[in-house]
Amino acid sequence: MLRPAGLWRLCRLSWAARVPAENLGRRDVTSGVSPRGSTSPRTLNIFDRDLKRKQKNWAAQQPEPTKFDYLKEEVGSRIADRVYDIPRNFPLALDLGCGRGYIAQYLNKETIGKFFQADIAENALKNSLETEIPTVSVLADEEFLPFRENTFDLVVSSLSLHWVNDLPRALEQIHYILKPDGVFIGAMFGGDTLYELRCSLQLAETEREGGFSPHISPFTAVNDLGHLLGRAGFNTLTVDTDEIQVNYPGMFELMEDLQGMGESNCSWNRKALLHRDTMLAAAAVYREMYRNEDGSVPATYQIYYMIGWKYHESQARPAERGSATVSFGELGKINNLMPQGNKSQ
Amino acid sequence: MSANGAVWGRVRSRLRAFPERLAVCGAEAAAYGRCVQASTAPGGRLSKDFCAREFEALRSCFAAAAKKTLEGGC
Repeated sequence: MLRPAGLWRLCRLSWAARVPAENLGRRDVTSGVSPRGSTSPRTLNIFDRDLKRKQKNWAAQQPEPTKFDYLKEEVGSRIADRVYDIPRNFPLALDLGCGRGYIAQYLNKETIGKFFQADIAENALKNSLETEIPTVSVLADEEFLPFRENTFDLVVSSLSLHWVNDLPRALEQIHYILKPDGVFIGAMFGGDTLYELRCSLQLAETEREGGFSPHISPFTAVNDLGHLLGRAGFNTLTVDTDEIQVNYPGMFELMEDLQGMGESNCSWNRKALLHRDTMLAAAAVYREMYRNEDGSVPATYQIYYMIGWKYHESQARPAERGSATVSFGELGKINNLMPQGNKSQ
Repeated sequence: MSANGAVWGRVRSRLRAFPERLAVCGAEAAAYGRCVQASTAPGGRLSKDFCAREFEALRSCFAAAAKKTLEGGC
């Protein structure tokens, strides 16, 4: 595997020089594994991307693929709502980490001209959902996008960025492939997601085994999200949060559904074994601490929606300092001010 | 995973029976849960085997439920 690895490193170093597409495609062969002696000192390697690809492939070829789709369908429809909120048409759009294409099914031909679906799992792309928009499926890792600068009018990403190792870099790449005045609409799982499961496992493992190891992956906090988007170069940021609570009969059903969604743990520091005693204890604790009146247990999914724009001259900018014509003290007389058409920003 | 996934399938089917056996042992599970929850109150400290007694009761109930279903069917 020496030659492809060498070529891949060459591609990474000449990233700024816009390497032609056929060489970039070779990245997929060694993608997902960060080089040990990497160029950037801040490169993190938390998740095993290879294992994540295997998990998503397994999840996508299950006998009943729609059984576990409910969460992604819901978030996909909410992202499509946000796309419709923007009164514009997008000739070329990209869906990063699309899974089976949950966003495309809610959009129409008038809004999106052509849709690129990118995911690391080929089984998911093969079983994609029906949509009226012409699509192109690309096997690509969210951190190593094989696209040129200033390509897309719209990039969407639904519930897949929480598995990337280097989120700042992924966001920078998204910014890079967007056209000026292009928009990125993303949804990712936030800090409070599955806190009930995390707490139950933590308590049970401490009581049963004397210590605990992380079973739920670390999520981004909402403050960090704003900073990351700003650092990646996005303009006019909007971050809002949504909480979806799903009730399950018990902890085991929740874990089975998470596995069916392809959301199993793939961090390098995961413990390989979860004892049956610990699982039993955790299920008992979960039920006792968090159950609803009807006996079911809730699981919280906190979703952060973010919208960021790539800079363009036509976009609104903050006004110059000292250019105010009205002061805040006159806010009480706003009725007199408004008919004059003299509103201060 | 092995070629036909026999071991994985067996382990998974055993795991799938856990929820119904846990449902049988509702009282013991609640007692264990309450004990652990009490340790999270301010001033409490959760250490290993803090609720060992309650957990033993839960585990023996669970094993009895498992034996019953084994004798009962499949």
